[in-house]
Amino acid sequence: MPNDTSTMHGGSARRSPEANSRLRAPARWRGISETALARLFLAPSITVMVLVVVFPILYALVTSLNAYTRRQREGFAGLDNYVEVLSSGVFWQALSFTAVFTVTSVGLEFIIGLGFALIMNRALRGRGIVRATILIPWIIPTVMAGQMWAFMFNITPGSINGLLGLGDFNWLGQSGWAAGTVIIADVWKTAPFAALLLLAGLQTIPSEMYESAKVDGATSIQRFWYITLPLLRPAILVALLFRTVDALRVYDLPEVMTGGAFGTESLSMLVQQYIVETPDPGVGSALSTLTFMLVLAIGVIFVRAIGSHLVFGERSR
Amino acid sequence: MTTQTAHARTARQRPPRRIMDARWSVLLGIVFVWCLAPFFWLVMTSFKRGDRALNDPDLFQGPFGLDNYIAVLGQGFLLNMRNSLVVATMTTVVCTIIGALAAYAIARLPLKRRVLWLSGVLAASLFPPVSLVPPLYEVWRSIGLLNTWEGLYVSYVSFSLPLTIFILTTFFAAIPSELEEAAKIDGATPLQAFRKVILPLAGPGLFSAAIITFVTSWNEFLLASTFAPRNAEVAQTVPVAIAAFTGAVEFQRPIGTITAASVMVTIPMVILALVLQRRIVSGLTAGAVKG
Amino acid sequence: MKQQNTAGRLLAAAAVATAVSVVAGCTPAPADNAEEGEIVWAIGGPRSQPGGAHLSIAELWNEENPDTPVRVEALPEAADGAREQQALVLQAGGSEFDVLGLDVIWTGEYVENDWIVSLEDVRADLEGVTLPGPMESSSWGGELWAAPLNTNAGILYYRTDLVDEAPRTWTELCAAAESIAAEEGMDGFIGQGARYEGFVVNWLELFWSAGGDLYNSDQSEVVFDVDLATEVTEFIAESVDDGCFAPGYNTAMEEESRIAFQSGDAAFMRNWPGPYALIADDSESPANGVTGVAPLPSFTGEPGVSAIGGFNNAVSAFSERQDIAKDFVVWAATSVEVQTILAEDAVLPVHVPLYDEFADDPVMQQLGEILQDAKPRPAAPQWAEISLEMQRTLFEAANGQMSARDAAEQMRTFLEGTLNG
Repeated sequence: MPNDTSTMHGGSARRSPEANSRLRAPARWRGISETALARLFLAPSITVMVLVVVFPILYALVTSLNAYTRRQREGFAGLDNYVEVLSSGVFWQALSFTAVFTVTSVGLEFIIGLGFALIMNRALRGRGIVRATILIPWIIPTVMAGQMWAFMFNITPGSINGLLGLGDFNWLGQSGWAAGTVIIADVWKTAPFAALLLLAGLQTIPSEMYESAKVDGATSIQRFWYITLPLLRPAILVALLFRTVDALRVYDLPEVMTGGAFGTESLSMLVQQYIVETPDPGVGSALSTLTFMLVLAIGVIFVRAIGSHLVFGERSR
Repeated sequence: MTTQTAHARTARQRPPRRIMDARWSVLLGIVFVWCLAPFFWLVMTSFKRGDRALNDPDLFQGPFGLDNYIAVLGQGFLLNMRNSLVVATMTTVVCTIIGALAAYAIARLPLKRRVLWLSGVLAASLFPPVSLVPPLYEVWRSIGLLNTWEGLYVSYVSFSLPLTIFILTTFFAAIPSELEEAAKIDGATPLQAFRKVILPLAGPGLFSAAIITFVTSWNEFLLASTFAPRNAEVAQTVPVAIAAFTGAVEFQRPIGTITAASVMVTIPMVILALVLQRRIVSGLTAGAVKG
Repeated sequence: MKQQNTAGRLLAAAAVATAVSVVAGCTPAPADNAEEGEIVWAIGGPRSQPGGAHLSIAELWNEENPDTPVRVEALPEAADGAREQQALVLQAGGSEFDVLGLDVIWTGEYVENDWIVSLEDVRADLEGVTLPGPMESSSWGGELWAAPLNTNAGILYYRTDLVDEAPRTWTELCAAAESIAAEEGMDGFIGQGARYEGFVVNWLELFWSAGGDLYNSDQSEVVFDVDLATEVTEFIAESVDDGCFAPGYNTAMEEESRIAFQSGDAAFMRNWPGPYALIADDSESPANGVTGVAPLPSFTGEPGVSAIGGFNNAVSAFSERQDIAKDFVVWAATSVEVQTILAEDAVLPVHVPLYDEFADDPVMQQLGEILQDAKPRPAAPQWAEISLEMQRTLFEAANGQMSARDAAEQMRTFLEGTLNG
């Protein structure tokens, strides 16, 4: 592949001398090597991300190694903050809720989102309306959606209980159900996001594959199973990746809906507590770093899977 | 070719069509109820007048009126919508352009350790944002980015880039490289190949990424409430403004103005979705591969 | 052809959007940039919104002091949100805020962080004319750090059509609740039982009324009685189980409580005085015209002890006009006009002589008496941690997630730890 460029470069260089001199500036631009181009293309994104997040991340890492009494720094602490976090029961409770929340909500969002994506991809009549309808839950700001669901689920005034004739069923006020209620709200809110990613992925599947499968007599279920799912894999992985890393850091919905009661305290709520509510930046940053490492570890597994499913330009020829 | 396909499909599906239609309608009905029932509650509540009706679980308990909307507009909410619009638009434009370039480099250009690049890009967005806020606040404060649109969208671009790059990388990678090679043989530079061949085919990916970036930055709360917590005239965005609503009396939940404002911000977004959704499903790659 | 179209449109759209954003992308200059000599009063809640009492107070000051005007900077109503916005500015040493509206529980924390200046030199202006509870909440380490602006206290709401007089003990209340449930099908008592600061306040009121306390008077020793705390927590758990407390108790905050009482679902309510006016305005409410207020019940028959809420005004250590800011906070605490503005807005004033003016208002008289014995939560720097620990232990125990005794013991250990650390 790099050879292509050099021939092209050579090609323009072999023109008549006058043309060459006239074209020098553009030729050098056109002849920029693909490796250099790759770096050039990456540069803006990398610059922005480095400028914005690198200092804060380093700052948090350093903070996590220091001892604090509330906001006052007391000195170097080594890994004490990490030990404190790992030996606190609250951390493990938050971790277990976060894990349950992530697995359940991402699983449901994926299934419902895939269904939505297939519907959005297909709907013939009024497809604009169908697509807009599916996207509405996701468009409502999360904080507002959380307040709305909390208000509707709460016994007082009891909108959902009234609608379903459940009397005084205490959705938000008993363990198990509180987490379930938060998950319902999250699935409602975020399934459309998964749907949008999968819908975009569906567009990368060439339609003649379906045509030839039909000619071969494949049923629609077979076509879904043997064409759609395998070819949708990169999009599925991207959707699962971003839903998973977001769900692992869930904050708004449980904070607004339950305030962490009945076993619905997430890792990010704990981080928020140590950074803002009962400030201990050392412990808060250690918690963040642990959360970060957990999320990153899971993220990298996905990224490797995505990498192995992508046909990169280089390898394709 | 596309029309032929469509014909062929409808022809073959004709026999069981009525059954399909019935199932289809039931399915769509379920989808509509699931997606819209809470929204319907939101709309009905937003028109209720007075504390009593607002806190009545009966959706149809009046009196109804436009009071909440008038109150919301009276609080300068249009300015908040302007701020959100500018911030979200800027984020989307910048993020989609530079993200597309980066994704193209990762998917198509000779680059070592692609998976490492992808992991690095992802890692940059995975730190719990709440612990990045205090140091970032100090930096923004010292360079004067607090209470500005720039302070918001610069950080949003950074946090939105990973998803954009991932979506577009998978998209670019799915486009047959023969197309690009053919363009290059015709004398196109890599840049031209990118612009003329890859970008158009990646339309659905670009628009999905753009919609997602737009909606995410429109709805973002944590950074917005830290970097521009007050003052609609300057940079306070919609979610922050809604969160700052109060009742008439301490602890009274301003449910009427909250729902009215939520409905008001949903309408432009629905219109946007209606316009953009066509782009997601229009640039079908299939025909292009052969053409 | 089609591809190029799409590409062209994409690029054109991007170009237009970029152009628009570049033109529009610069934030408009703030219209109300701090004027020369302006005092900024950062305080949250509905009274800081247009038409609110805080704005009327600022207006009154500005009429009298046109050279040193005060501007209200409205913070969120949620206490955590308001505290965070102040903390961000103060942590950075910012001088944007001159006067800080402090929740009664923040004093110690702000002192420890060197965010506010001592008001010991103006103590004489306040002492004697300002309610003692709010004064205590403005003090830390024996020194005065803030001037109370208004106060608040938990009270019992009851229905005069359902009971002849307000229950004095929880036993009386639960007996009344039981017969009302049987006759009217209503729920019993509603209070702030959700897991947040409100639960802590409600629990402390029960605990204080039973004779318990967290620390001794100068906060040098833990006096937390584990047996008594266990009883109080068990009382809540039992009352939820047997229906004396309404089923929505453990998810109710102030607003849910009000809705339950105002809509006639609950017969008794613990709340701040704020809802009284809303119920009086709601002619369709079953509670309208038949709502009485009384001191909280206790276990002994003595009037229960209420927790104090409200705002104190402190002067920022980073303010460039501390003298004027000090004048303002003292003025707001002691001016009869200011305190009357608050009283007329159904907020409890801190200016003692004012309560005599309302001699013919039975509710105001009642509140004045309740306030005599009302107690502030400890305004210690570690209050946020103590409160959170109470939520993690006592709330869980009140809802059967752990044993009440374990919770109380854990709480005592935690409180002892706060003295050493």
